[in-house]
Amino acid sequence: MKNPFIDFHPGSYQIKERPTQRIIKEKQAVFNHIIKGYLDLVENEIKDLAWVVEHSRVVKAYGAAVEGLRDLQYDQAYIEEFCAELDGSNSIPYMIPGPAGLYVSALVNYSQESHILLGLGDYQRPFHFLGYGLPEGKTLTLQGDGGDFIGAGLNGGRLVVQGSTGNWCGAGMMSGEIWVDRHTGRNTGEWMQGGEIRVDGQIHGIGKTFFGGCIFKQGRLIASREVERVF
Amino acid sequence: MPDLDDILKTVWPSVRSRHLFPELPAPACADGELRVGLDIKGKKISISRKFVKEMSVVLKPQEILEGLLDHAVSHYIYCPWNLTNHLKLYAAAKAVLEDKEMALRATDCFMDVVADTLCVSQKETPLPKIYRYLDRTVLDEAVHALFQRIWGIDLDVHAYEELSSRLSRIPYVDRSSWMKSIGRFSKLIQPLLEMEKDYGNLDTPSPMGSHGIQQYSTQEIEEGLKDLALDVASPADFEDIVHDFEDEISGATQPASQGLDSASAGSMDTSILYYMKLAENYALPIRKVPMESSGSTYPDHHISWEVGLPYQDIDPWTSFGKFMPGITQTWKRREGQVYGKEEGVPDCMVIIDSSGSMKDLRCDLSYAVLGAACACDTYLKNDARVAVYNFGDASAGGRQILTYTRNRREIYATLCRYFAGGTKFLVEDIDTLQTNRVPDIFMISDMQITNLEVLIQYFNTCKNRVTAVHIGNNEHVGTFCHTMELRKNVVIYGVENKEDIPRIVLGKIRQDLYKKTL
Repeated sequence: MKNPFIDFHPGSYQIKERPTQRIIKEKQAVFNHIIKGYLDLVENEIKDLAWVVEHSRVVKAYGAAVEGLRDLQYDQAYIEEFCAELDGSNSIPYMIPGPAGLYVSALVNYSQESHILLGLGDYQRPFHFLGYGLPEGKTLTLQGDGGDFIGAGLNGGRLVVQGSTGNWCGAGMMSGEIWVDRHTGRNTGEWMQGGEIRVDGQIHGIGKTFFGGCIFKQGRLIASREVERVF
Repeated sequence: MPDLDDILKTVWPSVRSRHLFPELPAPACADGELRVGLDIKGKKISISRKFVKEMSVVLKPQEILEGLLDHAVSHYIYCPWNLTNHLKLYAAAKAVLEDKEMALRATDCFMDVVADTLCVSQKETPLPKIYRYLDRTVLDEAVHALFQRIWGIDLDVHAYEELSSRLSRIPYVDRSSWMKSIGRFSKLIQPLLEMEKDYGNLDTPSPMGSHGIQQYSTQEIEEGLKDLALDVASPADFEDIVHDFEDEISGATQPASQGLDSASAGSMDTSILYYMKLAENYALPIRKVPMESSGSTYPDHHISWEVGLPYQDIDPWTSFGKFMPGITQTWKRREGQVYGKEEGVPDCMVIIDSSGSMKDLRCDLSYAVLGAACACDTYLKNDARVAVYNFGDASAGGRQILTYTRNRREIYATLCRYFAGGTKFLVEDIDTLQTNRVPDIFMISDMQITNLEVLIQYFNTCKNRVTAVHIGNNEHVGTFCHTMELRKNVVIYGVENKEDIPRIVLGKIRQDLYKKTL
């Protein structure tokens, strides 16, 4: 009697493991590492209940973020995916805007690529501190409107904002360039020590404390140590 | 070259066996330009002789046929699997690309990647050999680079290293993340799609064939739309997706399902289609009343005369003096019914409030329209007829009356009319819809009716079985419920929690109605 199930025998073909499985596993491992780094940072920062923007605190949080990313190989796609997870996903239970922005900045600063492009228009939430400490040789392009403290502490890099920024744009930047297609908010260039901020639209207000560098509005120099500030 | 049909006959059983015997008929070779097409209407795969002939310069015909069949069957058993998946993938791609043509091509590519990757990972197939020798456009080259990377098979591609590296990290075989994956996939290939659009290549099908809606059978389209209506958050979302396939879908959708009379299939307002399909997901029970057939038939309503229908029922007065199929009108006869021992369902008069205090059915899910649609469906399925009285400020002309009919499209078109403005109904309008056979009344409103006392008085005197549904709660609802408490023929249901997710509230409607309906 013929076995009625013989036709359903899968045959002699051995299922080969294709690279796709390995690639996905590796990618997931890296991404999990990135998520874990962020959660560790948040866990550390959340201890004080309220996250207040203070210079020492920002430096400390950024340092912790960098520490979490040490020796990790990733590229822009990971950063985009992480931003998407921050924006609306269940895998990240809480998003604190300050540390989140600093963590994304650390990701950008230590990525393999010299030019990173982030489409902020894809996200519902504003991202703050993007471009924080952007080093020389790196270019970060932000498509869409950024939050507060965009380009803060810029360190020789080039930040292009294809949209507007919030308050404190370029606060405490040391060197480098910030190009803003549209407008910036209050306290633009506060504690600025060097570099250039070029705004094609309106500047809502320039920072009161100004140590160096230049601010251009629609191509016209409006603030530098040599030029009396005009607003 | 040996006869392709003979080779196909020998290859097909082995392909079927490899894919664990999918329910597909034997494929056939077709002349013409078509390379491979899975005709899901007949679930029949057609393979282009021309394509096989061109390919047979570098590959054996048997390998070509096997590879093409594996590709086609993989689409059938893996991705897109059904029309709902197809439409949802398209919607996700379009959300990123914001262009119909580009979204269609991105969806095609994504489905090819998923289906072929699953096939290559799980089966022994000559499919990669075909990909190695296919003609490629810019986008195809990138997709081949992706295949080369994730399959680990040399496809003779030496470009798009970076792009393929990024694309390769998308979890194609994880069905649960398809919607997210196609978004990322579309975003990454967007520059190439724009380039293809500039070259005018988006109109030409991809080398392995494109995946149009026309490949699905009418039944699959009906089912797909039904599922889609349930999945989307609002009528606007439904419209966004369906609008792009309007021509294909309007040709395929048949409002005459389940033996209901219909107008000719043509383009349909997507809002009407949305409520029609959404209502199909809910079945309301209905209590029957003692009725029996009289045994004699009488002319009930008009339908278009077609060859084969009896001549004696033709109505010359409505046929414009013509005697032509499709133009000439004939009487549709129905068996008369009288009250007796057998149970039946009477006709139903649906009264729906579409004043300004009700939700605009085109922007948000209107519980009123959905509730009324479910009620209409139930009566129609039970062989009864439905009349609709849709009113806003009726005294100012804001009303639409549809007399008793079984034409589903006309009923939905009347239900989906939104008047806005004030809320006043005219008793004389309702009286015109009363018949000797005492129809049921289904009323749905937020009860903020200017002349509510007239309605209450009417319900107090009428003999119809009345199902009244109020949307939300307000003082008028309280008045209505209080005054109707003693009426045995009036049953009242409330739809609460307006701010709830529409789907959950829909379930409540059904549950509420299930408990008490008639």
